[in-house]
Amino acid sequence: MIIPEKDCAHKSDEQLVSESLKNSEYYLCLIKRFESKLRNYIMKISNLNIQDAEDILQEIFIKTYRNLNDFDCTYKFSNWIYRIAHNTTISLYRKKKNSDLELSWEKNELENILQTTLKLEEKHYNQSSYENILKIIEQLPIKYKEVLILKFIDGKDYKAISDILHKPMGTVATLINRAKKILAKELSKKGITVK
Amino acid sequence: MKNLSEQVLKQIKEDNIKPKPRWHFVLKNYFIWLLFGISIILGCLAFSMILFMVIQLDWDVYQYVGDSFLKTLFISLPYLWLLFLILFIATAYYNFIHTKRGYRFRFITIVLMSLFISVMFGTYLYFNGFSENIENIFFKKIPYYNILVYTCEEQWMQPEKGLLAGTIVGIEFSEHSIELIDFNNSHWQVDTSKSIIKGNLQLSNGLKIKMIGNMIDKAYFQAIEIRPWKGQRKMLIKNK
Repeated sequence: MIIPEKDCAHKSDEQLVSESLKNSEYYLCLIKRFESKLRNYIMKISNLNIQDAEDILQEIFIKTYRNLNDFDCTYKFSNWIYRIAHNTTISLYRKKKNSDLELSWEKNELENILQTTLKLEEKHYNQSSYENILKIIEQLPIKYKEVLILKFIDGKDYKAISDILHKPMGTVATLINRAKKILAKELSKKGITVK
Repeated sequence: MKNLSEQVLKQIKEDNIKPKPRWHFVLKNYFIWLLFGISIILGCLAFSMILFMVIQLDWDVYQYVGDSFLKTLFISLPYLWLLFLILFIATAYYNFIHTKRGYRFRFITIVLMSLFISVMFGTYLYFNGFSENIENIFFKKIPYYNILVYTCEEQWMQPEKGLLAGTIVGIEFSEHSIELIDFNNSHWQVDTSKSIIKGNLQLSNGLKIKMIGNMIDKAYFQAIEIRPWKGQRKMLIKNK
């Protein structure tokens, strides 16, 4: 029996978890809710190509389903599934670090991260600067790249990032500040100055 | 792009994948807390042993034997138990961060909390005589334990440096002389004519004492200061 989408629409993620435990068809609604967000997240932190990202996403959803009973309702489901995505991606990323990777940033996402983390001078908002900036972001150590993505692309707050990365909130704040400093330093080496 | 959601659901059905039962996770969580608890208890035990070993030593004798305080400290620290304390605190930290909410705490907070518990309960164990009993058991049951720790017996069995301890087996008050058997079962004649007695001490047969003085020859010792042997601990001899 396929669950109509309207049946899921008014339910929270947490309600869908408990429905999925009774009837696996409800799990489809959870997958649909998180599929695109997680695909985007995986590709950005790992630079994996779309095919690898799809495979890993499938693995994440299966792993999540197997562990549904471990979900603690005092947490947000989105943080919990991001945590599984983070772990699974990092473990695969380590294996595939030097294989076929590709960049997966949209122009508006890049602009968003630049506007919220660093205040670039107007003259640098052009294609050539973007390409340089993108290369710098892609080369950042994964621990810095993922906090920037979670904070400025996925719009997660410090508590959510702490739950996803399993790091204290103070450490998350430190990582974000360090990531900004490294980004600014690397940009200045390329002649891209911040205000 | 393939329809991922339907593909996942299809795989769940075809492979008959089921969510793991809740008890599996509850048990795992309890197990982690249990390991954390065991690590903390062992940390308390390690601290109580450190306290016992540090307190049982006489930290003022270095000035009589001509060693520096730093050298005495270096020789006397209970490295074995310090190592165990570090190990158990590290194990407690590892288990704590693997509990459901453990990651929310900073490294330093968890370590200090574990250390605080170890110090509090370790001190309680020490004052209840637990560490003394444990050490007596370890000396008897654990092979080579005696060479891994530095005890007050070892500290006071250095007659060539002027430190000697043992049990009085004979007293000649008129000649200011006592006969003593040390921890290695060697007999000593001790001249007490120029000695002072520290603490509330009445020399008598069977009494355990420790002395600072000079070794005149391999069976003759001149005492300068006589002290009572601390505590009720059995005299445990090191087998080297």
